[in-house]
Amino acid sequence: MRRSGTIIIRGIVQGVGFRPFVYAAARSLGIHGSVTNLGSEVIIHAEGEKFDEFLRKIRIGPRLSGIDDFLVYPLEGVIADDFRILESGPGNLTGLIPPDVAICEHCIADISEKGGHYSRYWATSCVDCGPRYSIIRALPYDRIRTTMDLFPPCPICEGEYTNPLLRRHHAQTIACARCGPTLTLMDRDGNSLTDTDTIQRAAELLDAGKILAIRGIGGFHIACIESAAERLKSLLGRTEQPLAIMAEYDIAEEMTIIHPEDAEILRSPARPIVVLEKRDHSAHETISNLHTIGVMLPYTGLHHLLFSHLTSPLLVMTSANSPGDPMITEIDQAMSRLRGTVEYFLTHNREIMNRCDDSVVRDGLIIRLSRGMAPKRSRVDLGEKAILAVGPELNANATIYNDGICITSPHIGNIRNPPTLRYLEETVDRLRTLTGITPEIIACDAHPQFLSTRYAKNLAEELGADLIPVQHHRAHIAAATVEECIGIAIDGVGYGDDQTVWGGEIFAGKVPEYARVGHLEEVLMPGGDTATRHPERMLYGIIQRDEILDLLKARGWNDVALSALAHQVERRFNTTTTTSTGRVLDAASALLGLCRERTYDGEPAMRLEAAAAQGSPTDWEIIIHDSGGTATLLTTHLMEKALTEYLPYTSELPMVRRRGVADIAASFQHNLARGIAHLAVLAAEENGIMKAALSGGVCYNRMIRRTICSELSDHGITPIINTEYPLGDGCISYGQTIMAGRR
Amino acid sequence: MNVNLMHGAGGEVMGELLKTLTAFKNNNAGGLGLESLDDGAVIPVNGTNIVLTTDSHVVRPIFFPGGDIGRISVCGTINDLAVMGARPIALTSAMIIEEGFEISGLARIVASMDQALEEAGAAIVTGDTKVVERGSLDGIIINTAGIGIADRPVRDSGLREGDQIIVSGTLGDHGISILAYREGFDLGDQLRSDVAPVWGMVDLALRAGEIHAMKDPTRGGFAAAINEMARKSGVSILLDEEQVPIRQSVRSAGELMGIDPLQVANEGKVVMGVPAADAEAVLAAIRSHPLGRDASIIGEVVTGSDVIMRTSIGGERFIEPPLGDPVPRVC
Ligand SMILES: [Fe+3]
Ligand SMILES: [Mg+2]
Ligand SMILES: [Zn+2]
Ligand SMILES: [Zn+2]
Repeated sequence: MRRSGTIIIRGIVQGVGFRPFVYAAARSLGIHGSVTNLGSEVIIHAEGEKFDEFLRKIRIGPRLSGIDDFLVYPLEGVIADDFRILESGPGNLTGLIPPDVAICEHCIADISEKGGHYSRYWATSCVDCGPRYSIIRALPYDRIRTTMDLFPPCPICEGEYTNPLLRRHHAQTIACARCGPTLTLMDRDGNSLTDTDTIQRAAELLDAGKILAIRGIGGFHIACIESAAERLKSLLGRTEQPLAIMAEYDIAEEMTIIHPEDAEILRSPARPIVVLEKRDHSAHETISNLHTIGVMLPYTGLHHLLFSHLTSPLLVMTSANSPGDPMITEIDQAMSRLRGTVEYFLTHNREIMNRCDDSVVRDGLIIRLSRGMAPKRSRVDLGEKAILAVGPELNANATIYNDGICITSPHIGNIRNPPTLRYLEETVDRLRTLTGITPEIIACDAHPQFLSTRYAKNLAEELGADLIPVQHHRAHIAAATVEECIGIAIDGVGYGDDQTVWGGEIFAGKVPEYARVGHLEEVLMPGGDTATRHPERMLYGIIQRDEILDLLKARGWNDVALSALAHQVERRFNTTTTTSTGRVLDAASALLGLCRERTYDGEPAMRLEAAAAQGSPTDWEIIIHDSGGTATLLTTHLMEKALTEYLPYTSELPMVRRRGVADIAASFQHNLARGIAHLAVLAAEENGIMKAALSGGVCYNRMIRRTICSELSDHGITPIINTEYPLGDGCISYGQTIMAGRR
Repeated sequence: MNVNLMHGAGGEVMGELLKTLTAFKNNNAGGLGLESLDDGAVIPVNGTNIVLTTDSHVVRPIFFPGGDIGRISVCGTINDLAVMGARPIALTSAMIIEEGFEISGLARIVASMDQALEEAGAAIVTGDTKVVERGSLDGIIINTAGIGIADRPVRDSGLREGDQIIVSGTLGDHGISILAYREGFDLGDQLRSDVAPVWGMVDLALRAGEIHAMKDPTRGGFAAAINEMARKSGVSILLDEEQVPIRQSVRSAGELMGIDPLQVANEGKVVMGVPAADAEAVLAAIRSHPLGRDASIIGEVVTGSDVIMRTSIGGERFIEPPLGDPVPRVC
């Protein structure tokens, strides 16, 4: 039986209250020694009768921790006759930059407790909850290295911080109304509305239909009640785009179908936006005109206090920025940028060091990896060299690797916007300084025109690092699994080996060698990116039939535009080919009159999915051509079938047509999914690989994903779906890292 | 590696080729030489700045709405002289003609060249003719070289912080109209090339105020020109989308074909950077000329290294130099 030892614990051990947890265990078991935090590891020197029991107890770790390694060595050094928490020291910093954590139940209770030290204080937090990443200047995570350093704790807070018997022992964000950050409510001219209760006043303004900007954990939200949603959207110039809401759980449950898995995610410490199916698909149309709506629960003291005053059941909450732009974090910026939209500003004086948008999850799959989930840490052995990957272009983030650990930044956005590219550059700089890593390899997308590619090139030159371009869809698959598999990558756009646009790809192999063994039929993209913005062009790119031209003419296309489209396709002028799955879905959406112009990312396909949710599918014929080991699914055939089904409905009454359209939409998705699954099954049988990894934004479509998975299972193939990283392009920087490291 | 068509498209790929083609050690005759890769060279002779430039012209089709290869071959050289701040004096003309070319076509081309010379007050003073076998080129290639005299040569690299960016008129006319015509699009008959000699207009501008930098946005369009100016000057440029003049017919034709009017050639336009104090005067001078009626101040020079367009809805986007053919990237 051991009586003493030096214990090294590696993993998620920072910002999760590990030291006070160890302290409490030591005290209760009469253990002497010390605990210290060296960045990504906790080191404990311990001695006592109940040493083994102590080991058992601390092996579990506190609630938010995650232990990779738990090593016990013979005791080094001399031990004091009590147990102490020592100052944090510098060390290997690759372990973890802790993500932000939603307020815990105990702190909510503290806020509502009348006359308590934290009564009605908006920024109450403890060792289990509160901001982390968003306030960190440097590691290790300690108050002096966060933006809380401007708020020295009052004697009572200090007392709780140092009292090992209390929940806030060593809670770095501890603060109260006397010593902590404060709130201000202002009108758009910057006049502050002095009031006895700022939050109550803000709630009253919201209830009166006013639009408020609210500074939260990782940036500003714009908030309003449901009846103001339409006005907000038209002010934002985003009339079609669905917005998310914040509501208490019971309200969310009245509105939407919440499966137990969804409930767990809704209430998880990350508290993301969860995309849920509306009970009544046509309800709350001014917030979301889809069959789904994004819902999040209040996740800070401020939110809880707002809801305690609010009469309205829910708040529409959207990030205060244009889509793809970085979230606004500074009040000056908010006031100048949002002047035209927002009437009041509810802000606070705790600096947001690192911006962090809300995370988004649907069906347990991550759509946006951000607040509470990122920086995301994974253990994977990619060798000795440090790697940086800068992602694709539209849903960019960055991943940095060193010594067996990958860290992926929160969502960054569309870096074709200058402010977002700057944000990517800043994020890479922050990751580098926080972790102390200088990359020797820089991975980027293979698309020669992506701005991330250009950035990677310049940075590689500057640092003398190797530049490794990675094909987009292979990065998708590598992010899902490093095992040998059939890869099914279905998304919008990625630059292919043959310099055309890919997006419906079947691979066979193992990272980094994936052979392209199947794909969707190559169809035309008249006018390039224009065909993405105007999906009716894509429709004609897929089937060049006079019926389509007649249909478009009936919808108001003029003769010049129609003849130009036909001519462009005939001449193949500025017309590339694509195997994109997203573009095929867009075209179907256009055919059925569901979306004629894309006003936000993924809109045509999302509208198709919403229509399909009302319909029931039938099996259509699926044709696969095999040309020299590469199987091709004929999407033109599916589109022709949809056209034949749809034409009779064009003369029907709207009600009848809507039902017909729903069934065609459902059938189209269903059969496209079956076709993709068949491609994968062929590849699996040919190559004797019985696992298939799915990735790409199209996989968020529930019907398509489920159809593919069940077809695979029917053929004895195990589907692998990435639940750790987004299925969309938020996984690309991680996948690039894997591809570059295993090269 | 062999030369491909991308190498001639004026984008970044062409820049790679130029490294090979400009590797002359003997590249400067005093003044500005090949090393500056400007629109022309400056050779001081007895206190006078002689500007010299040359350009070969291949255009398909040879005759198009608004002009022909002859007009382009004269205007191209005159405009390169003009944007160096030089009054065009004399040009050379060398024609390489494919066997079988119609003599009447040549007569039309020569008449058209003469017309352009007339407008610019310059002359073709010497020339050369070669006829090559059928199939060894597509119709005709015309090379012109020209000399001019500049009181104060203007470079394309002289932008300074605070300068206002002026364009002398609507952008994309030549490129969009010639694409539409060549590819047989029926987009109405308002589309015409803007090919014209700009010296008269530039002369007025030079008299009205100081011009820090100037360039004619030919191959690669405005996007290539403005990026080159920014890069060579070591500055950033902020543009205001609402102020950028683009003809409605050009805009719609561009949308229908999926072609950005800012990335295609202009043959009668000038981009310049002017100190803020002189901007209004220079703008007024340009507008007083028939070719400059649509001139506009479209942006300003700031510190940094990118060209950024502020969009009408309050966003920002990069204006990137075209890099060969565009590959779809909207996800
Ligand atoms: Fe993708
Ligand atoms: Mg030039
Ligand atoms: Zn708490
Ligand atoms: Zn306090």
